[in-house]
Amino acid sequence: MTLALEATLSVVLLAFVLGVAVLTAVVRDVLTTVVVFAAYSLGLAALWVVYRAPDVGLTEAAVGAGVTTALFLLTISRTVRPATDEGLVDRRSVRPRSVLVASVVTVALLATVPALPTVGASDTAAFGPVAEYYLTDAADRGVDNAVTAVLVVYRGFDTFGEVAVVFAAAVAALAVLGREVLA
Amino acid sequence: MTRSPYTDSPVVTTTVRLLAPGVLTYGLFTLFHGTSSVGGGFQGGVVAAAMVVTVAFALGIRRTAAWLDRRALSALVAAGPVVFGVVALAGVALGGAFLQLDVLPIPKATVYATEAIEVGIGATVAAVIVVLFVRIADGYEEPREADTSVLDGGTTPSVEVPTDD
Repeated sequence: MTLALEATLSVVLLAFVLGVAVLTAVVRDVLTTVVVFAAYSLGLAALWVVYRAPDVGLTEAAVGAGVTTALFLLTISRTVRPATDEGLVDRRSVRPRSVLVASVVTVALLATVPALPTVGASDTAAFGPVAEYYLTDAADRGVDNAVTAVLVVYRGFDTFGEVAVVFAAAVAALAVLGREVLA
Repeated sequence: MTRSPYTDSPVVTTTVRLLAPGVLTYGLFTLFHGTSSVGGGFQGGVVAAAMVVTVAFALGIRRTAAWLDRRALSALVAAGPVVFGVVALAGVALGGAFLQLDVLPIPKATVYATEAIEVGIGATVAAVIVVLFVRIADGYEEPREADTSVLDGGTTPSVEVPTDD
């Protein structure tokens, strides 16, 4: 993919993601919100693919656009619409102090952006000797997908912890729901 | 209610019927080819589970839940931590470090040990998503035949909805 095409795609996708993100917040109907939110995840997934992170894109598409949407749909099917046509956000319930705190946090986070290294900067950790070692050693071991190699071979302890968290989350959720029997 | 969260639309059911084998195969492919191409345990498991969830939405959550085997699901949920633990400790038993994969006495030890772990992860992730979905859907009442026929304008639903709740 040429650089110009990549840049154009990034801009288009970022604009799309930003647009649907705003739409998710302002749309009145909950069902529409859920569908728009799925579109947001799909845009992000496409963006990951453009940024050459297809592993993340795959997960984002399946979890963000797929499973999360299904869970939201289940949830709204068990709730009722408010009788008034005010929409979800009642303007009188928005407190100025909350808006102030949210704005300060946003500005503070944005202020850190200039401290980030530029895209492709050679002095970042991604170009350090460790990354070089991972790439050559993984190929020597026969694991061609460097992402999988880092997850299981070099950072196996973290991944073990993640699987334990997934398992524990399932057990905890079922215990809270009071349904220890599966399916 | 003007909209139904459940559909009897033949377009939806046919599309899901056509998609399901392909997507499930793709999920398994991603699961088993994690070492050589895009994907791995998390991705493959999530894709497979998302397909089961889609099938449940199209063909009825209760019917799908009835088709699942609860003992198999329990085994799958536990598979990830168990497989990961066994592989990790096998390294110790053979004189290596915890999670040292290349001491295992098999050809291309790192590759196959990684594959085993990936399959375990995929099993746990897929089963956890399916179980949570089905359990959260428990109190959810699917529209009965009478309701859906009203929505469809009186046509007979092509899929029978169990009404034994």
